[in-house]
Amino acid sequence: MPTYELQINGTIYNVEAESEMPLLWVLRDLLGLTGTKYSCGAGQCGACTVLIAGEPVRSCITPVSSVKDKPVVTIEGLSPDGTHPVQKAWLEEHVSQCGYCQPGQILNAVALLDKNPNPTDAEIGKAMQDVLCRCGTYQRIRKAIHRAAQEA
Amino acid sequence: MSANKVNRRDFLKLVGSAGGGLVLAVFLDSCSLPAKEQSTAVPLDFTPTPGEQLTLDEKPASAQEEPMAATETILPADWSPNIYIRVDHQGILTVTAFHSEMGQGIRTALAMMAAEELDIAWENVRIEQAAADTKYGDQQTGGSVSVSRYFDQVRSAGATARQMLINAAAQTWDVEAAGCKTEPGFVIHPDGQKRLAYGELVDTAAQLDLPSGVQKKDAAQFRLLGTNIHHWDAPQIVTGKTIYGLDMRLPGVMFAAIARCPIVSGGKLSHYEDAPALAIPGVKQVVALKDKVAVVAENSWAAIRGRDALEITLEEGKNATLSSEDLFNTARGRLPQAGTTENGSIDAVYELPYEAHATMEPMNCTAHVHDGVCEIWAPTQSPQDVQLAGYLATGLPTKVYVPLIGGGFGRRLQADYAEEAAALSKAINAPVQVVWTRADDMQHDFYHEMAVQYFNAPLDEPKLPRARQVGGSAVPTGAWRSVGEFTQAWGVQCFIDEMAAASYRDPLDYRLELYKNNPRAVGVIQLAAEKAGWGAPLPAGKGRGLAYHATFGVTHVCHVAEVSVDADGRVRVERVVCAVDCGMVVNPDNVKAQMEGGIVWGLTAALKAEATVKNGRIEQSNFFDYPILRIDEMPVVEVYLVESEASPSGIGEMGVPPTAPAVANAIFAATGVRVRHIPIRPEDLKP
Repeated sequence: MPTYELQINGTIYNVEAESEMPLLWVLRDLLGLTGTKYSCGAGQCGACTVLIAGEPVRSCITPVSSVKDKPVVTIEGLSPDGTHPVQKAWLEEHVSQCGYCQPGQILNAVALLDKNPNPTDAEIGKAMQDVLCRCGTYQRIRKAIHRAAQEA
Repeated sequence: MSANKVNRRDFLKLVGSAGGGLVLAVFLDSCSLPAKEQSTAVPLDFTPTPGEQLTLDEKPASAQEEPMAATETILPADWSPNIYIRVDHQGILTVTAFHSEMGQGIRTALAMMAAEELDIAWENVRIEQAAADTKYGDQQTGGSVSVSRYFDQVRSAGATARQMLINAAAQTWDVEAAGCKTEPGFVIHPDGQKRLAYGELVDTAAQLDLPSGVQKKDAAQFRLLGTNIHHWDAPQIVTGKTIYGLDMRLPGVMFAAIARCPIVSGGKLSHYEDAPALAIPGVKQVVALKDKVAVVAENSWAAIRGRDALEITLEEGKNATLSSEDLFNTARGRLPQAGTTENGSIDAVYELPYEAHATMEPMNCTAHVHDGVCEIWAPTQSPQDVQLAGYLATGLPTKVYVPLIGGGFGRRLQADYAEEAAALSKAINAPVQVVWTRADDMQHDFYHEMAVQYFNAPLDEPKLPRARQVGGSAVPTGAWRSVGEFTQAWGVQCFIDEMAAASYRDPLDYRLELYKNNPRAVGVIQLAAEKAGWGAPLPAGKGRGLAYHATFGVTHVCHVAEVSVDADGRVRVERVVCAVDCGMVVNPDNVKAQMEGGIVWGLTAALKAEATVKNGRIEQSNFFDYPILRIDEMPVVEVYLVESEASPSGIGEMGVPPTAPAVANAIFAATGVRVRHIPIRPEDLKP
């Protein structure tokens, strides 16, 4: 089985895995980083989103062999202490209900704001449309993104 | 240590604890529910037999007005306490949450109730999740009753603890307790200066008799209740630290995926070839369970690949060709057809499909059978049912721990995921996490029951219409957020609009007359209509619709939906205005969040997704064919709370039932097209 050197949240990990093993399962089962969530396994819901070189990527359909030396950021590494503006906005706007989808929501929002520091509702809708929430926290996600944009 | 002192009213008990501190155990009488919670709507576990006809009855208006009966505690012969609150030497309050958290904010609400009466700062509150134990009474979380059922008792526990701390201080100072008061975390001497921290008093307090007749605060004195405290778990959620069932990691844990018969019922696995599964790297074992086959591997991905590689032969059984078309035709055939009623009446047939839960965290369960015991970690709404399932599967005493739940909505009241995990752990003699894929979850659900409803009502005066209703068969069904209330509200609130239209009356006016003996109904209907600007003109292609429902008869909700429909029949829900009367509000922001969430849930059912049967199987397998609402489809939602001093009633499910009918009524207003089934699709509306 091949070995891969991965840079995750600033730390180098060496993992032995099949080349097609999705990054999601490498994170959750080989590295014990369970903040990134499994929900659909088919790139349809966004719960598994990580940032790879700043881009939002669905880790459930990303083979570990494709990551190479690009830096990966998971929810655990977004900030040392939960003080990223998006995390703070999520708390101030009382976004979470069950919370399962929120790591994916937050990382997608981070990526959106990096590219578009002051998005409209329509732009938020477009950027986040594939990140699903069954508890229905969407209105608060919109508000939190606006808030993070203002407070950045 | 004066352990096991029972006070005169016999519902609080002082418990000694090895670590010291003040530990109060509260008996909560789960047996005597207030009369209001007995609903005449379809009960939680209802599964109709083929051909059965039900009459949908709404409770008469006067019954809905009864105040919540004061809970007289009726003690069984050997009662045992079932809520624990603890104040320790650092002055930290720990509340043991005996109901499951799935985003509805119950852990936070319970802690708020205790902390309010104890008089302690919120940052000094901790929450622990109860393991399954009969000492906690009924731990099932469902029916939106957690706050309403325990509002008085949890507050009494907090108030009693506060009084004991006051009594301890009074004893220490040698003053009258009546002259002391508290500020958060401190008892204040009658002189207004000296103070003792709770942490310094707990050992003394634990020696005292339980006071009786302790008064709870008036609402005017509340510091925490009625405020917008966010979920206690939220800081951990946004940093990825929360542990859901699927995140449980035990030393040496194996991962498993299970092959189950895909036929909805009546089929079985007859044979399997395991060689292809065993060839997958990381797969360790293939294990036959009762009518299932488990593939055990070193990681989830290998387990899933291994399971998918199994060559399975099925005996498909009698439902092999079953389809939704068959089920609906059968149901329709048992009811009159629309258009057969007499003059002066109107009739109509309404339909709803099977609905899936589609929780973001799929079903899963972790089990470890070892040393004569079965331990289960299950994100469950029914810890004690899981405990029983583990015992039945293994024959061993079973302990159940409840991690956070990534969405419950009634699916996690079942214990199926626990039975198979426990049996598997016993079979392989190792800890194992059974992972369900999205397709497993979608196809092995306990669906919301389908329904065909025949309504027939005279038009002489506005009166609540009744329906005859037939469900499906063969498809496993179970509780789904708002259960039979969803079904009832769909047909009733749409048909009321038909009655109004046939009477040449405005739907709002018609309802104000229909519900005139129900002030709380009228209250929310008027509030929602006013805030929505009912009656103000809308451009062509746009419409407003309203619907009212009191879920379980206890919480009154009215939605006004505003939609626009384009030339291709595509519906956009622009705005939903919601008015809710849930009695006294424990946490206003959480009520709003639950209404928003209930509306989103209802919109998915109204416009987007359904579970259908073909060839005896559920057709849907992932979000592409069970599309739940997305953020770019999210309307603006405004929630208005009616101020009330009635005991708090539930909120978790209550936002759901009026949603689909409000949307259907709005679509009629916008297009003149009456659609009597959900989901409503563009092809239903294209001219």
